[in-house]
Amino acid sequence: MRVAVTGIGMVTPIGSGRALFWDALLRGASGVGCVSSFDTSAFPVHVGAEVRDFHPEAHLRNLDPRCVGRASQFAVAAARMALDDAALKPEDLNSRRTGVSMGTTSGEPLFVERYNDIRKAEGEEAIPGSMLPRYPCHVIPTHVAIEFGLRGPCLMIPTACAAGNYAIGYGYDMIRLGRADRMLSGGADAFSRITYMGFSRLGAIAPKRCQPFDRNRKGMIPGEGAAVLVLESTDRASARGAKIYAEILGYGLSCDSHHMTAAHPQGDGAIRAMTRAMRDSRIGKEDVDYISAHGTGTPTNDRVETIAVRTLFAERASRIPISSVKSMLGHTMGAASAIEAGVCAMALDTGWVPATMNLEEADPECDLDYVPNRARKIDPRVVLNNAYAFGGNNASLCLARYEG
Amino acid sequence: MVRIVATAAGVVSPIGIGLAEFASALYGGKSGAAASARFPGLVTAEVNDFTPQTWLGNKGIRVLDRTARLLAVAAHLALTEGGLLEGGAEKGGDELGLVCGTMFGSIHSITSFDWSGITEGTNYVNPGEFPNTVINSAAGQAAIKHGLRGINSTISAGLASGLHAMQYGADCLRFGRARVVLAGGAEELCEESVLGFRKNGLVSCSGSARPFAQGRDGIVLGEGAALCVLETEESAIARGRTPWFEIRGFGCTQDAQSIRSFNMRGDGAAEAIWLALHDASIEPAQVNGVIASANGSRAGDGMEARALEKVFGARAGGLAICAPKGALGEWMGATGAASTITAGLAMRAHKMPPTAGFEAGGHGLHMSSNATPISGEYALINAFGCDGNNASMVIRQWNN
Repeated sequence: MRVAVTGIGMVTPIGSGRALFWDALLRGASGVGCVSSFDTSAFPVHVGAEVRDFHPEAHLRNLDPRCVGRASQFAVAAARMALDDAALKPEDLNSRRTGVSMGTTSGEPLFVERYNDIRKAEGEEAIPGSMLPRYPCHVIPTHVAIEFGLRGPCLMIPTACAAGNYAIGYGYDMIRLGRADRMLSGGADAFSRITYMGFSRLGAIAPKRCQPFDRNRKGMIPGEGAAVLVLESTDRASARGAKIYAEILGYGLSCDSHHMTAAHPQGDGAIRAMTRAMRDSRIGKEDVDYISAHGTGTPTNDRVETIAVRTLFAERASRIPISSVKSMLGHTMGAASAIEAGVCAMALDTGWVPATMNLEEADPECDLDYVPNRARKIDPRVVLNNAYAFGGNNASLCLARYEG
Repeated sequence: MVRIVATAAGVVSPIGIGLAEFASALYGGKSGAAASARFPGLVTAEVNDFTPQTWLGNKGIRVLDRTARLLAVAAHLALTEGGLLEGGAEKGGDELGLVCGTMFGSIHSITSFDWSGITEGTNYVNPGEFPNTVINSAAGQAAIKHGLRGINSTISAGLASGLHAMQYGADCLRFGRARVVLAGGAEELCEESVLGFRKNGLVSCSGSARPFAQGRDGIVLGEGAALCVLETEESAIARGRTPWFEIRGFGCTQDAQSIRSFNMRGDGAAEAIWLALHDASIEPAQVNGVIASANGSRAGDGMEARALEKVFGARAGGLAICAPKGALGEWMGATGAASTITAGLAMRAHKMPPTAGFEAGGHGLHMSSNATPISGEYALINAFGCDGNNASMVIRQWNN
């Protein structure tokens, strides 16, 4: 059975909705600005990539936005956009055969923040009991299921910054196993002072902008957002005359088993994830036309990712365009690889691949074709979407142009 | 069809550490519930006097949070029993995966990290503790500890997480994503989760979980980690391991009306059981024993009883049932895994373990405070959450 992407929903720092987002992305828009979610005066850095002008009540029609965390709100909004984009009405779905799988890094961390704020100000006894059931990360897919009345498989795969790819891979498996007819799969994360503090203390946040693969890159920029893809079999999609953006060919997972935060210096886990994805997809190295990089903009990630791609693709490596949309979106954490999977599907559909923005000075250690500063039309047929996470969790997803 | 089998297991529980100790305590009717030293005034089922160094040595233990320690020890025990430790993990690590179910994950580490930020100041926070705040940290840490370089996934579906993780592992094997997978779950008991359950009136005031009992008054919170060694039949044979039981079928549904209320009629839970039976190609009449999800909660146990009635009809009262949470407490994201191991033990011994906290008469279901003989090959395992996430699994005793 072949699996198609028939709907794309996006909530991102550069715009929400597939069309708006894609326009902004190809234009090279930036979602980076001064952090407004919390006071950053105690931090040495002050920028972030937040989702602005987000109105949950426009998207949550059954759930009460006041009772739902921000990551769940993003997820529901992205799911609603994805269903609209797929021309599917929630009431037309076979609810028992439609499932949800999502990824995240932090779940609903704002409830942890509120828990601590109340505990500090008024003591533990003042913490309302209603807050805790809203924290565990599986509430994100559960909220999507509740909003649209979906009764099929419902799962959260919280594998941090690679989680979106894991969740889409799971959705792909559910359809191939016949456990669901359709899956809403993606990732979501909300801007949090906890994540910001962590990356800031690691010295990983860039002071102004994200410059993946640039010689003077200074780090990542924390972000937030969500993406949801509608997945269904190509037969089902064709039968209803649905637009097919792309086909999912397969995916590969691996674990560095090396260090919790630092990538394996030779990119061992990254290479194994890509190799497995290609094997699962029954394609060869010569078939890959574009790579959506993890490309966080930290000195180590970008160097190691380059080593991994160079090791795997050898002399062909420099001829494969590879770009990082984190140069525009910042690092949207658990949503990142889901957003990037949506970007890959759009690239396959339109022929255009996004640029790596802010790439001004070449780094001798990063010597691939990063599609610097201008989107490019390359009409790719097969693309790889790479994602790497804390815990050494690596996931590569392979998508292809749908040619019937 | 590719057959997915369990060949070994590792368990860290309030009633014993290691499969043998766990089994003997379970069949001996031991309960892990006791007055808590960490949470005054509360009866909990904790892993007391837990010294992970006994199994893991001293190196690198300090940085692991409690969930990671529980998981890493369970992994050590599973690898040892599975014959994968001696040079195995090192040699075969690329094809050796880990799937960890969890509900609260790193909640204590993330809360503590944020707490030091707002009380001591951002600049005094230890960046070395940041990696523990991600929800997948336990699985990542256990992988590092044991050289597990294959798939590494963390799975969350509330109280159904552990069972989902077992199935996720089985599916990965089916698709050739790994050769051997340690699958199960881990959950620590910490002040944040305790506060949550307590404030929502879910904790037993009498201090005893009495699954399905008429007078049950809530759950006893517990903690633990459990992992099964899963592999294809072919891999087990090639490694010279005898399969223990086969994962035959799985079903899951979601039927929440809101995050705090579920379908009390048990429709979604019954549907999950039906899906699992269908997946295993068996009829309800072929089920010989049930490992229940019941944990003493007023609402949840009633819902499960109705689901069993819907599927098994008049036969529900005659099914041999064990509700291990009576002895183990509620391990949240990890219980599905402990229940699977319990089912495996029951099928192997042809005896259903006793249910601690059993009281006659509740919902007319057949449990016992003694081990009960069972025959046949199939056991059903339930893991139902209070947020509409339902999962059921069918396992089959290996006879070949």
